Amino acid sequence: MINRKLLWLFMLPGILLYTGLFVYPALSGLFYSFTNWDGVSPSYDFVGIANYKDSFDSITFRKAFVNNIKFMVVVVVLQTVISLVLALVLAKNSRTHVVFRALYFFPAILSSVSVGLIWSFIYDPSIGLLNMSLQSAGLDSLMGSWTGDAKIALYAIAFVQIWAHAGQMMIIFIAGLHAIPGELMEAARIDGASRLQIFGKITWPLLAPSAAIVISYTTIQSFKAFDLIFVMTDGGPNYATEILTTYIYHLAFSNYSFGLASAGSMIFLVLLGILTFFQFRALRQEGARG
Amino acid sequence: MKTQRTRLALLLVMVLALTGVLSACGGGSKQADDGKVTISFLHWRGEDTQTFQKIIDAFEQKNPNIVVDMQTLTSDQYQTTAQAKLTDGSVGDVFASFPGAQFAALAKAGLFTDLTGESFLKNYNANLIEAGSQDGKQWAVPYQLVYNMPIYNKALFEKYGLTPPKDWEGFLKVCQTLKDNGIIPIAFAGGDIGPGQFMNTMVMNNEPSEDIFTKVEAGQAKLTDEFWVKTLTQFKELNDKGFFQPNSLGTKDPAAGALFIQGKAAMLASGSYQLSQNVKQNPELQQGLLAPITVSADQAKYEGVHTSTFMLAVNSRSKHPEEAKKFVEFLSQPDIAAQYANETGQNVTLKDIKYDSKELNIAQEWADKKTVFQPRYTIVNAENQKAVTNSIQAVLGGATPEQAAQDAQAIIDQQIGR
Repeated sequence: MINRKLLWLFMLPGILLYTGLFVYPALSGLFYSFTNWDGVSPSYDFVGIANYKDSFDSITFRKAFVNNIKFMVVVVVLQTVISLVLALVLAKNSRTHVVFRALYFFPAILSSVSVGLIWSFIYDPSIGLLNMSLQSAGLDSLMGSWTGDAKIALYAIAFVQIWAHAGQMMIIFIAGLHAIPGELMEAARIDGASRLQIFGKITWPLLAPSAAIVISYTTIQSFKAFDLIFVMTDGGPNYATEILTTYIYHLAFSNYSFGLASAGSMIFLVLLGILTFFQFRALRQEGARG
Repeated sequence: MKTQRTRLALLLVMVLALTGVLSACGGGSKQADDGKVTISFLHWRGEDTQTFQKIIDAFEQKNPNIVVDMQTLTSDQYQTTAQAKLTDGSVGDVFASFPGAQFAALAKAGLFTDLTGESFLKNYNANLIEAGSQDGKQWAVPYQLVYNMPIYNKALFEKYGLTPPKDWEGFLKVCQTLKDNGIIPIAFAGGDIGPGQFMNTMVMNNEPSEDIFTKVEAGQAKLTDEFWVKTLTQFKELNDKGFFQPNSLGTKDPAAGALFIQGKAAMLASGSYQLSQNVKQNPELQQGLLAPITVSADQAKYEGVHTSTFMLAVNSRSKHPEEAKKFVEFLSQPDIAAQYANETGQNVTLKDIKYDSKELNIAQEWADKKTVFQPRYTIVNAENQKAVTNSIQAVLGGATPEQAAQDAQAIIDQQIGR
């Protein structure tokens, strides 16, 4: 019988660290969201819910929110589909498949900042690899200003996000595929089921728990995206890629509006919480059906 | 029981070790046992650390009781974390600050020691250190001098018989001649610094005033007024006529620089800080500075734009303000400032400095000309600054100047209302 007091004592450093590094900053963020603190001054005033009101009224906040949703939907849908297709193609444990898996996984081990810098050069309209390749292939009409065109900049960055993380999600799907008992597939094949039928009736339902992980992880990851956008466009051109995290960052550290940025962070936290809650619930139901 | 005690002891050691690690993260100014005082010098010019270290060594030799501990952050990090470090006085007895929003915030927080009346201020060009003063007091001393004007390729201009134009018509003609000869008239980093840099010279004569954006932020003038709509219209004209490289909004600073350095573009919308960097990459390059004059020659009040930055200050929470001041005084000696300038390729705000490179002298030629402090940096609210530069991006992206000005003004109105 382990002594309960001793158990608490051993947990104490962890609890202290967690409180100091996560609970305290979160609570102080909540506190400052009701003040007009600029992040530097020793003094500040309490402004009630003014920061929350200002956030919802803010033209930039609304633009950032809409961009966040667009970015998230594109990344979640495409990344899930692409990583699933990659997993289905590369699930075998042959040497070639393992090599390709490693290649697709590779971007996941690069830092987002490096990825952003590499792709900034690729996307550069004058000296970038993408336009140069299109030109060499005689596809001049497709050449564009990838991160400079307000209509496509957000999607150009979404593509990079997917490029960087699809391989990682593929590994989760492959793990799920390997967990499906071979006999089921074998039985289906003997019964004359087509590939599509096997996928629809066996593979997909049994992959539901993996899909749940991939979708929820991708949702949170894309909603919280920051590094790529910060490095590649810093929210531009003309707010076309401004999302909530870059908006909050600019408020706090360029504009010295720490109170307002804290309110933005709190709204962001609640939005993410709601999103995650509903998604987990939906996915749990999906998992239960599967 | 014994095991329990051993576990408890282990736990205590862990907690103590952790506390030790955390407390070691502190530091900064302190009085050592040997009577020496250590002051901390915090700045963002990582590329200048070698030169600064030489200067610090010389300072320490002359002041054997003072040790200067230099710490640098990247300029992005400096914007985000410097203020927190400075607030408790643990680092940055001497620190640098940016003009504009950061200076305003640090001044409001009372982090600057008043340097008014200090004898070393006489070494500076009084006009160039105004960015560090507020309410009649000199809170910080801008050390670096930058001319935020397009750099032009003299050889290319000569080849096509061009000279820096004196009015808007002349500027358009120069651009057209260059374009007709297959040269990109202006390399423009529309994806990052381009709009912020180029707007300075574009607006300086459309509203020849030192405080137009102060008025905009106070609600006494609007971006929808003629001066800004005209500026945006001229941006649009340059873009529509193909005087920027194609897809300029997707171009970042290094790519725009490459176009200029390789001689594919005749002008680079940046500033004098880029001169020595350019010549390092292409030693054959013959460079000059010019400003687009957006009005007729007789209406032009200003010839160019300057910014004084890297503002040296003494932290008001420093435990060793006298020693810190001594270090700023040392940096303010003309021979030391000249060493800094010549080794780092940065012009300085001090008087009578002898520059030993062609590039530094190119900028120095502008010291006697009529220049105005960078208009963009007179906008102290960063959201407003962004709204202004974004309206340029909006126009280059296809919006009408009126609409872009209106959208930006809407954001500024919200900021005023806060």
